[in-house]
Amino acid sequence: MGARRQTYIAYGLLAPAFLLVAGLIVYPLYMVLETSLRVGRAPNVARLDRLPLGFGNYWRALTDDVVWHSAGVTVVYAVGTIAPAFLIGLLLALLLNRDFPGRRWIRSMMLLPWAVPGVVAAIAFLWMFDSSYGVVNAQLRKIGLATTDIAWFVHGDTALFAVILPTIWKCFPFFALTLLAALQSVPQTLYEAARVDGASPFQIFRNVTWPGIRGAAALALVLQGLWVVKDFDLVFATTGGGPSRATQTLSLLVYEEAFQFFRMGQASAIGVLMLILCACLAYLAMRWGRKDFH
Amino acid sequence: MPVPVWRPYLLLATSLICLVVVLFPFYWIVITSILPTEIVLSRNPPLLPPLGEITFAAYFEVFARKPLLTWISNSMMITAGTLAITISTGAMAGYSLSRFRTKAQQAMGFGLLASKMLPGSLIIIPFFILFSKAGLIESKLGVILANSATAVPFATWLLKGFFDAIPRELEQAAMIDGCNEWQAFRHIVLPLAAPGLAAASAYIAIVTWADLVFARTLNSKPDNWVVTVGLQSFTGEYLVEWGALMAASAVSLLPMLVLFLLLEPFLVKGSTQGSLAN
Repeated sequence: MGARRQTYIAYGLLAPAFLLVAGLIVYPLYMVLETSLRVGRAPNVARLDRLPLGFGNYWRALTDDVVWHSAGVTVVYAVGTIAPAFLIGLLLALLLNRDFPGRRWIRSMMLLPWAVPGVVAAIAFLWMFDSSYGVVNAQLRKIGLATTDIAWFVHGDTALFAVILPTIWKCFPFFALTLLAALQSVPQTLYEAARVDGASPFQIFRNVTWPGIRGAAALALVLQGLWVVKDFDLVFATTGGGPSRATQTLSLLVYEEAFQFFRMGQASAIGVLMLILCACLAYLAMRWGRKDFH
Repeated sequence: MPVPVWRPYLLLATSLICLVVVLFPFYWIVITSILPTEIVLSRNPPLLPPLGEITFAAYFEVFARKPLLTWISNSMMITAGTLAITISTGAMAGYSLSRFRTKAQQAMGFGLLASKMLPGSLIIIPFFILFSKAGLIESKLGVILANSATAVPFATWLLKGFFDAIPRELEQAAMIDGCNEWQAFRHIVLPLAAPGLAAASAYIAIVTWADLVFARTLNSKPDNWVVTVGLQSFTGEYLVEWGALMAASAVSLLPMLVLFLLLEPFLVKGSTQGSLAN
């Protein structure tokens, strides 16, 4: 069997996937870049390439208060989701890593929210947090924490918090899953040695557990961070960005510019800026955690 | 240090409490869907359902009034199409990257990273333009292609991890016995990578089933909607019928929950090798 034949097979097997990625990711990305330089509105996308080229969209995006507001909302939304979701995921992973009866089934059930489509999670939380008939307000009234009906998703002060909750619910299983997998790869002998040396549970966590899972934790944080920043479904299906832009993340702003106002160029420019930001953050996070990746 | 006998039961009790909190939204979806409207629209909904009042009226109503079956079958066809494209191309590409180390590996790595960072609401812009020109609007193929775009790099990388764990000697032995490369891949390697194929399929099915932005933007006619788009349309209505909406949600959730519970062990294994979900 010749080396040349081997090469043909190697590239032949790779070709379909390569063509799909080139046609459906690389070329569309190039199109986004080109569209972002088309200044003006084009309700008919076939006429998009007749618009003049220029950097006007970028200039508008960078000087627009709405864009900066959405960037701020995105940061609060992402940090407000990732920090608690990571903590919950870590605690559950530590719990599920212990041995007890029924652990296998409890683990599966605990991770179920991950499989729920964002739209369905959004609808379930809209209903539970409904101002008049929602179970959350009813319970809050019962225990005396609320005297009036709180319009969680409708009121500007609570809407972002209300959107963060279902996002945490959908996102913590991923942390639990990856951290649990990482925990199971920490050698048991290290724990035994630490116990023989008389280390406290906290010392064991700091010096044995955490170094063992730090790499997986960093990677999971990057991936989930990117996921929350680009998430569209949950915010769109709960508040649609409202009330008066209180929950309008960059992702929603891009969609609104493109498909409500048909400013495809402006939307693409905001999207490209968002991508650059994501790429920088991902690069920094990967570099920071590089020594831990294997 | 001896472990106290009660320790496992304390852990079990703690887990069960966590489980109740985590699963409450599922419980509330089901409870709302099987109670009559008077109880659903009450200021103080009972936490435990009055057993005598249980009714499946909301299910009959939602199936009668909305094309829920059409939406579900659209979702199924799009998920099946996406799986067919991504698993077949991903398996071949993953195998190629696992057995032959080439420059293309770095290119695929970049493609993967790019697909992880692309917001759906951005990449939908070129898809909309491209598919409008190609006449793929109001068609399932457009949505299948859009979903495959981000899933192919993911499937490739996940499956490469599983192929790496299969010793090459197995194919070499098969080829000495007279198989060609393709037969060795098809009959020896693929069956051994079955857990990986299961994990990748489950991930991709769950993500595709959940898609809203592609299906919503590329198909505007209600008959072409998938189940997520149909459900989302309920929330825009002036008067939301919560019982019917919860019934529809429960029906739409069922296939993915069953899939997840069946394949969850493979997913844990897959996440250690791929670490790339979502």
